[in-house]
Amino acid sequence: MSVNETDVQSALKNLIDPNTKKDFVSGKSVKNIKVSGSDVSLDILLGYPAKSVWAEIQSLVENHLKTALPGVTSVKANVSSKVVPHAVQRGVKLVDGVKNIIAVASGKGGVGKSTTAVNLALALAAEGARVGIMDADIYGPSQPTMLGISGQPDSPDGTMMNPMTNHGLQVMSIGFLIDGDTPMIWRGPMATQALDQLLRKTKWDNLDYLVVDLPPGTGDIQLSLAQTVPVTGSIIVTTPQDIALMDARKGLKMFEKVDVKIIGIVENMSTHICSNCGHEEHIFGAGGGEKMCADYSVEFLGGLPLDIRIREQSDSGTPTVVAEPDSNLTKVYQQIARRVAVKIADMAQDHSAVFPKIVVQNT
Amino acid sequence: MKKMAFQATGITLHQESRLLEIGFNDGQTFSFPYEYLRVYSPSADVTGHLPGEEVLQVGKQDVRIKDVAPAGSYALQITFDDGHDSGIYTWEYLHGLGSRQSELWQDYLERMAAANASRETKR
Repeated sequence: MSVNETDVQSALKNLIDPNTKKDFVSGKSVKNIKVSGSDVSLDILLGYPAKSVWAEIQSLVENHLKTALPGVTSVKANVSSKVVPHAVQRGVKLVDGVKNIIAVASGKGGVGKSTTAVNLALALAAEGARVGIMDADIYGPSQPTMLGISGQPDSPDGTMMNPMTNHGLQVMSIGFLIDGDTPMIWRGPMATQALDQLLRKTKWDNLDYLVVDLPPGTGDIQLSLAQTVPVTGSIIVTTPQDIALMDARKGLKMFEKVDVKIIGIVENMSTHICSNCGHEEHIFGAGGGEKMCADYSVEFLGGLPLDIRIREQSDSGTPTVVAEPDSNLTKVYQQIARRVAVKIADMAQDHSAVFPKIVVQNT
Repeated sequence: MKKMAFQATGITLHQESRLLEIGFNDGQTFSFPYEYLRVYSPSADVTGHLPGEEVLQVGKQDVRIKDVAPAGSYALQITFDDGHDSGIYTWEYLHGLGSRQSELWQDYLERMAAANASRETKR
């Protein structure tokens, strides 16, 4: 029995991508099917970065086609990823060189926003994406320390700054522009202007994702970010304790008010693992993050333990995802990154939220 | 699920008749006279910072719109030719202005009459 392209297409309609939970055809991943005799070749183009699972998906597709289509003896699937840019209305000043902006926020301070943001950025980069991180915490920048970067950014043309780089990330922070212990004693308008400059006066180089590490709360910086740039989506970081969840809810509500999509919630310090005996305990309470997700029907992206390694590695400038790439902790960050990337790829196909075109008529 | 959020689906400025036409995702389309939008600007310059601090906007009959820009993905920032540009009109606010247009406009006219003020624009 001879096989044609349509047979391959329909066979792939029955194969579910374990990451997106959609079949490969409706996920628009199947390209360039070629059949010659009993040989089939095709490209699988994923909308999310997934270097670590390319091989897995390749064998999934190849085995499926061989089983589903008798008469096919060899299948060659080329798997790759291409991140789709966030669709916005024409005329909106997009940030040059950035396809998607992910805001990482929390209501309460000290819940591990910056640590989560940097590890998420590193996990996305490890999957083969081009990633930048912008430290929007004007009053308390932490990214220079967490990424082990010091010095000042270059500005070859005197107006645009080149981002600093380390561990494969492009980084910009107010911390590079001032001394370590100089406080920014600024009122709101100054801080929001600084944010705008960090964002637009940095020469971001062809980023798939720009992760923005926001300060805690629902104030000037958060509002300015939502008003001036097309944020693809936001992630809320919280701890399971009630006092943090209360403020996380406010953060979520704020993004809803300004129509920034919520990608999901990360629960930090879910449990404490004793470094002496290994005993795991819910010291801040259990299930708070999941409950909040259920209440607001948003996705629970993952939970991280209160582990001394996460703190030590971030403080010493080599966050967990690069310090221990094979550890369980890194796996959780990778899983979160995968869920975020898949969600963003989904959102890129949903055009209902695109800003309408503004038409001017002489009527 | 939260209630359906209003979202604009089409925005057209009719510069000759001075009407801003906005279509919404619930199927409704509203036509806003520029003057109406100007005197009901949500800016604190108009509404005040506290109830009771509202500032009655007078003499805006001939006001024109110089520019309409997106504010994030949830609102419009409208720049009028009298220099006023600090109003951020969210979809929800605009939908409210649209569905209560005759009532709110009547209210404005009554406040104008009570203040013995004129809509006429002095150039």
